[in-house]
Amino acid sequence: MSTQHGPTIDVSNVSKWFGSVVAVNDISFQVFPGVTGLLGPNGAGKTTLLHMLAGLNKLSKGDIRVLGEPVRGNTRIYRRIGVMSEHEAVYGFFTGREMVEFSARMQGVKDVKASADWAIGTVHLTDSQHRRMGTYSRGMRQRMRLAAAIVHDPEVLILDEPLNGTDPRQRIEFQVLMRKLGEEGRTILISSHILEEVETLADTTLLLVSGKLAASGDFRAIRQKLDDRPFSVRVLAEAPRSIAAALVRLPAIDSVAMEPDGSLIVLTKDVAVLQRTIAKLAQEAKIRLYRVEPLDESLESVFSYVAQR
Amino acid sequence: MMWNMLNLSLRQLAGRNRLLLIFLLSALPVVLALILNAFASNDQDFNANFINSIIDGIIIAGIMPIVMMSLATASFGNELEDRTLNVLVLKPVSRSVIVLPKLAASILIATPVLLVAGAAVTLIAVEDGGARAALATSGALLAGIIVYGAVFTWAGLMSSRALGFALVYVFLWEGLLATFLSGIRYLSVRGYTLGILHGLDKQTFDSIEDRVIEFPAALVGAAAMTVVFTLLTVRRLQRMDVP
Repeated sequence: MSTQHGPTIDVSNVSKWFGSVVAVNDISFQVFPGVTGLLGPNGAGKTTLLHMLAGLNKLSKGDIRVLGEPVRGNTRIYRRIGVMSEHEAVYGFFTGREMVEFSARMQGVKDVKASADWAIGTVHLTDSQHRRMGTYSRGMRQRMRLAAAIVHDPEVLILDEPLNGTDPRQRIEFQVLMRKLGEEGRTILISSHILEEVETLADTTLLLVSGKLAASGDFRAIRQKLDDRPFSVRVLAEAPRSIAAALVRLPAIDSVAMEPDGSLIVLTKDVAVLQRTIAKLAQEAKIRLYRVEPLDESLESVFSYVAQR
Repeated sequence: MMWNMLNLSLRQLAGRNRLLLIFLLSALPVVLALILNAFASNDQDFNANFINSIIDGIIIAGIMPIVMMSLATASFGNELEDRTLNVLVLKPVSRSVIVLPKLAASILIATPVLLVAGAAVTLIAVEDGGARAALATSGALLAGIIVYGAVFTWAGLMSSRALGFALVYVFLWEGLLATFLSGIRYLSVRGYTLGILHGLDKQTFDSIEDRVIEFPAALVGAAAMTVVFTLLTVRRLQRMDVP
């Protein structure tokens, strides 16, 4: 599909700031044909970065090339790029079919009918194509917007959180479709804030945290890095000092700290071992345990950990 | 491409409520004209008062700008509010292919309604030479519609408070300040509209002679303002960060 030699998307030292807020901070990476995931928590700068890639936003600094050309101000390149933004905005008065055909005509597609048939069929919405977009469910709107983004058969697809609002069956269909489009030689960049989503969709991952590229490359390597991180666990017990003394002797425990309120913050790489052992220790020492709770299961903490390494 | 964009823009702007508002606003001067004509046409100054109060005071200074405000500020205002503008700018077309149909849509919707209202009011008021006067009113209104369309389309893309800007422009700049500073008429859509109206039919509209600019100045001013604001809209669309 892509006739481009070298990277399809080439991002060099790109920054974007809004007043004093730095949304994207000196990022460089390259994307090649296939499916690449852009992973990061909400507010990491994914949408700002994708907007710059699509030419919607000016760059404060740096350079972006897609298929060897600059994007901003270069409207011709949109014949070769398909973009689906995060916002689920649609023209509610259009039927799904009208929306896709509008997109095809604006893209200069020669056989509008055949292209629309293909795109709508690809997202499995042929039966609902003549309904107004305003009556669609969120998942249906997302799929029809995807059809509008691929109707001109683009070489590069930039999709911002495309799985928002889709149900599990639609997600599987979407994954299959993305794999297929990627295997045909297209370059597909998909953003998501959900780890598992990117894991099933993309082999290559860009991890964005607080506007910076925290990691990039093979997803499995990044996943391993995430799995290696220590977890924080809060322990509330009757005699915290005694429990702390017992815990620090365990090899699975990295550190134990006592908070002013008497609770313990335990850092461990193996939560399972801690769970098994702490109950046993407490029983042996006849100490009552009130609470054992993980502190940082949120995705943000996982990303922060990787970013700090 | 242009037709596609025009079709989209017409469907966007032609909401039932907006069309109803435009129709009712445009019908208002016709109803007033009929009432005045029935009860006061024996007045010696009827013709001059009628032109001053209904054609200038209500249609040109009030209804035309309000109708164009509601249409043209929404052309891009709705796209920004609904966050659909990126659907348009991510297409391989020049920005003028997006801007010109947007402008054309508001003009196409407003023109038939306002021109029919303006011509009807003129025919009611003017007994001799009514057809020529109605043509002059239509020509002047068409010019006003186009210039207001260009200015307010630009305003809709510049700010989410375009309606506020439009109200200040129409009622403060054109309404109040132009009364005290006659030079403002050369930078005012109302000034151009009145200048063209008078230029097209001096005889019928002689009662506004003391406050109109020269016909050529009105034509050049209207054309220049339309071109400048259309170019500014295209430039804004090229340079802005699209949400």
